Amino acid sequence: MKRAIRTFLISMLAAVLGAAPAIAQTGGKLVLYTSQPDRDAQRTVEGFRKKHPGVDVEIFRSGTTEVMSKLMAEVAAGAPRADVLLIADALSMERLKAADQLLAYPQADVREFPPDAYDKDKTYFGTKLITTGIIVNTQAPMRPKSWTDLLKAEARGQVALPSPLYSGAAAIHMAALTQNRAIGGGYYEKLAQNGAVALRGNGAVLNAVAGGQKMYGIIVEFMALNAKAKGSPVDFVFPAEGVSIVTEPTAILRGTKNPEAAHAFVDFLLSKEGQELAVSQGYFPARRDVKPPPGFPDVATLRILPVDISELEKRDELNKKRFAELFGG
Amino acid sequence: MPWMPARRGERLTFATLLGLVVLLAVVPIARLAQEALAPHGKLDVGVLDDVVHSPAVWHAAGNTLTVSLGGAALAILLGAAFALLVSLTDIRAKKPLVFCFMMPLLIAPQVTALAWINLLGPNSTLLRALGIAPAPGSAHPLYGPGGIVLLLGLEQAPVVFLAVRAGLRALPRDLVEAAQAAGARPWRIVRTIVLPLMMPSVAAGGMLAFVGSIGNFGIPAFLGIPAGFTVLVTLIYQRLAGFGTSALSEVAALSLLLALIALCGLALNGWLARRRDVRVTAWTTATPEWTLGRLRGAVEGACWSGLFLVLALPFAALVATALVPAIGVSLTPRNFTLANFHFVLFDYAATRRAFLNSASLAATAAVMLVVMAVPLGYSLAGRRSSLRQAVGFVAELPYAVPGVVLAIAMILCLLRPLPLLGLSLYSTIWIILVAYLSRFMLLALRPVTNALRQIDPSLDEAARMSGARYARRVMTVIMPMVAPSAVAGGMLVFLMAFNELTVSALLWSSGSETVGVVLFSLEQAGDAVSAAAVAVIAVVVTLGMMLLSNGLASRVARGVLPWQP
Repeated sequence: MKRAIRTFLISMLAAVLGAAPAIAQTGGKLVLYTSQPDRDAQRTVEGFRKKHPGVDVEIFRSGTTEVMSKLMAEVAAGAPRADVLLIADALSMERLKAADQLLAYPQADVREFPPDAYDKDKTYFGTKLITTGIIVNTQAPMRPKSWTDLLKAEARGQVALPSPLYSGAAAIHMAALTQNRAIGGGYYEKLAQNGAVALRGNGAVLNAVAGGQKMYGIIVEFMALNAKAKGSPVDFVFPAEGVSIVTEPTAILRGTKNPEAAHAFVDFLLSKEGQELAVSQGYFPARRDVKPPPGFPDVATLRILPVDISELEKRDELNKKRFAELFGG
Repeated sequence: MPWMPARRGERLTFATLLGLVVLLAVVPIARLAQEALAPHGKLDVGVLDDVVHSPAVWHAAGNTLTVSLGGAALAILLGAAFALLVSLTDIRAKKPLVFCFMMPLLIAPQVTALAWINLLGPNSTLLRALGIAPAPGSAHPLYGPGGIVLLLGLEQAPVVFLAVRAGLRALPRDLVEAAQAAGARPWRIVRTIVLPLMMPSVAAGGMLAFVGSIGNFGIPAFLGIPAGFTVLVTLIYQRLAGFGTSALSEVAALSLLLALIALCGLALNGWLARRRDVRVTAWTTATPEWTLGRLRGAVEGACWSGLFLVLALPFAALVATALVPAIGVSLTPRNFTLANFHFVLFDYAATRRAFLNSASLAATAAVMLVVMAVPLGYSLAGRRSSLRQAVGFVAELPYAVPGVVLAIAMILCLLRPLPLLGLSLYSTIWIILVAYLSRFMLLALRPVTNALRQIDPSLDEAARMSGARYARRVMTVIMPMVAPSAVAGGMLVFLMAFNELTVSALLWSSGSETVGVVLFSLEQAGDAVSAAAVAVIAVVVTLGMMLLSNGLASRVARGVLPWQP
C-alpha cells in the first residue's frame, strides 16, 4: 500500500516537473562539505541563496582532513551524502578524482581563471588563492623575513604551526617547503628542534599568536590579516623565499542527488559576484578580473613555492607520519 | 536471602530490554571490531601487532593512566571530603554550597578548559586588564599533565560526591548511635564506621571518575595538544582525523587498549564491592549532624574561597574574552563590545539551534534510559550474578570506548537505510540520539543496580506474597526505593549528554549541531572571542536550568536533585 502511494506520488511529481518550463528554478536540498571557517561558510551560503532562494543548503564544516575522513567513511559504506565540496587543497580533490568520486562539469565558465587554477578535466575548480606565510605578534622581539628566521634562537619555543593531520593547507605547505631546494630538506626537523609546537588548525595558531602565548606562527594569510583588521596585535609576513599556495577548490560529487543545484553552486562560486564575496571576506580571488582586498599585495608580485602534486600524492602519507613523529600529531 | 525467580510477564520485559541493550551496545561495537580486525571479511591481526609495538602508543597510554589516576584521586579527595562535610556536619548554607560544588560537572569540559586557558597565561584578557598578565611569549601554566589533572579532578569531584552522599544517606543510624552511646568521638566514628561503610560508594564514585577521565576529550584536547602531551583519546582523534578511514583499524585497536584500562578499573571496583557487601535493613533518612564548633567559620570560609577560585574567576575570564572584538585586544571601556554575543545569538543561526538540539537530545536520552534502567535493574537483581556482570560489561562498552570510536561505529551501522523501515538515520538528529542512548546507558543503569544491591529483597518478597503482579511491584515497591538513584542517574545522563562533544563531533550535520560542536568549531576556526561568547551563554543556560529545577524541588522527593542537600 505504502509503496503504491509512493509510486503514485512520484509519478505525479514527475508529471508536474515534466509539465514545468525547461528553465525551472533550482530548488531542493544541497549538502555542502567545507573547510571554510563558520562565518565565511555561512556568508557564502547566504550569498548563494540570495540568487537561488529555493535551495536549502546543509553545511558540514571541519578541517579539510576531517572532512575527507567523513566523506571517505561514507564512500566506504556506499552512500556519500555530500553534493558539493569546498575544501582547502587540490590534493584531496585529486584523490577523490582518482577514486572516481567527482562529477565533471565541462560547461563551467572558467574564461577568467588562470589555467592552473582548475582541473583540466573540469572536475574541480579553484575558487581563491590562499597563501601560507608567517604571523607575528606585534610585541615580538624579531620580525621574521624568511622561513629560516623561524629557526633562529630568538624564535626558540615561540613558533606555532598548524598540523597537516588537520589542515589541508598545512599539508601542502609541508610539501612545498620540503620539496624546495633553497630552504632545504630537514626544515621541519629543525623547527621541531627549535621547540616549535604543532596545533590543530590555522585557527589555533591565530589564537596562540594573537593571544601572546607564542610570538610567531605559520598560518594562512586571510586569518592573520582579518584578525589584524579587527584590532588583534598581529602582523602578516610574506617570507622572502615565497609562500605556499592552495586554491580552495570546489567540486561536485558523482553521487549528487541534485546536480542542478550543485551546478548553480559552482557557478556562483566562480562568478564575478561570488569572487567579490570572497574578496569581502578577505581572500585573494582566483579570477583575474577581480581585485584583491585592500592591504593585500598584487597577486603578480607574490613569489610562489611550487608543489608537484603527483609527487606529493606519493609522499603525503609519509609526510604526515613524519610530522606526527616530530610534533606528536 | 536470594531474590525470587521471575514469571512470564517479567521474562518478556526482561528479554526485550536485554535485546535493546545488545542492539545499542554490542552491535555497533561488533561492527567496528569486524571493520578493525577483519576489514575484508578475513582476519588480519597485523594492525593490532603494529599498535602494540608502537612506542608512541605506549607513551600515550602511560599519559592516559597518569592523568586519569591523578584526576580520579583528586576527585575522590575533594568529592568524598565535601560529601562528609555536607552530610555529617552543621556547616551552614549547604544548599548553595552543594549547588556550586556541582557546577564543574554541569559545565562542559571544553567550556571549563577554555575558561581556564582564558584565565591564566599571557592571553588572559582579564589579567591584562588588571595589568598582571604573564609576559608575552611565556608558556601557559596549565598546558601539560598538571593542568589536565587539575581540571579532570575538579570536573569529576561531583561524581564522587554524588556517590558518597547517596551512600551516606543509607548510613545505618543504629550503628552510629551505638558507637555514640559507647562514647566514641565523631572523628573516630567517621574513621571506624562511616568510612568503611562508604568504601563501595567511594570506589564506585572513584571508578566513574576514572572512566570519565579516560574518555574525556575536551580537557586534554585544549590543554594537552598545545603542549605536545598526547593521551590515548587525543591520539585516536588525531590519527582518525589525520589519516581518515585508512586508520580505522588502527584506531579500533587503540580503543581496545583504552577499553582494557577501563576494564581494570571495573575489575578493581568489583573486587572492592565484593569485599564489602553492605546491606542495610531499611531506608534511613536521618544522618547524624556533628557540630564543627569554633572551626565552622574557618571551614566555611575555606569552602567558599575555594569555590570562588575555581568557578567565579575562570568565568570572569571567559566573560572578559567574550567582550573584546578580537583575540589579543585589551579590554578597555573603548574596546568593550557586545558584538560577539550579537553574532552568536542573532547572526549565526547554528548557535541557537545548537542549544535547542543539545537540550532536547539530552532530555530525551535521560528519560528513555531511566525508563529502561529501572525494570532492567530489577530483573537483573533476581538473576545470577554472572548475567548481571555480563550486562554491566556490555553497558560499559560504549561508555569505555572513546566517543570518536563509538561515532564511527554508529556511522558504519546507520549509514545505510534501516532494514525494515527503509529510512537512513544518518545525518539526522536521530543518529546522535541513538549514540547517546548507547553511550550513557551505563550512567542510568549503574545507580539503579547499586541501589537495588542495598535493598533487602524481603520488601519485594512481601509484595509477591500479597499477590502483586510484576508491573505493580515495579511501580509501587521498586520505583519508590530506587527513585532517588534512578533520577540521579537520569540527571547524570542529561548533564553528560548536554555537555557532550566527542560523539556529536563526527555525527552532526547542518541542523543537528550540538553546543559542543559549535563551540569547538568556532574555536578551531580561530574565532576565540565568539567561542567565549558561546561558552558564557552555555554556562548561563546551564545555571538557569539548575535554578529552574530547583524551583520544582519542593514537589519532588528528597535526594532527587543531586545539588539538594
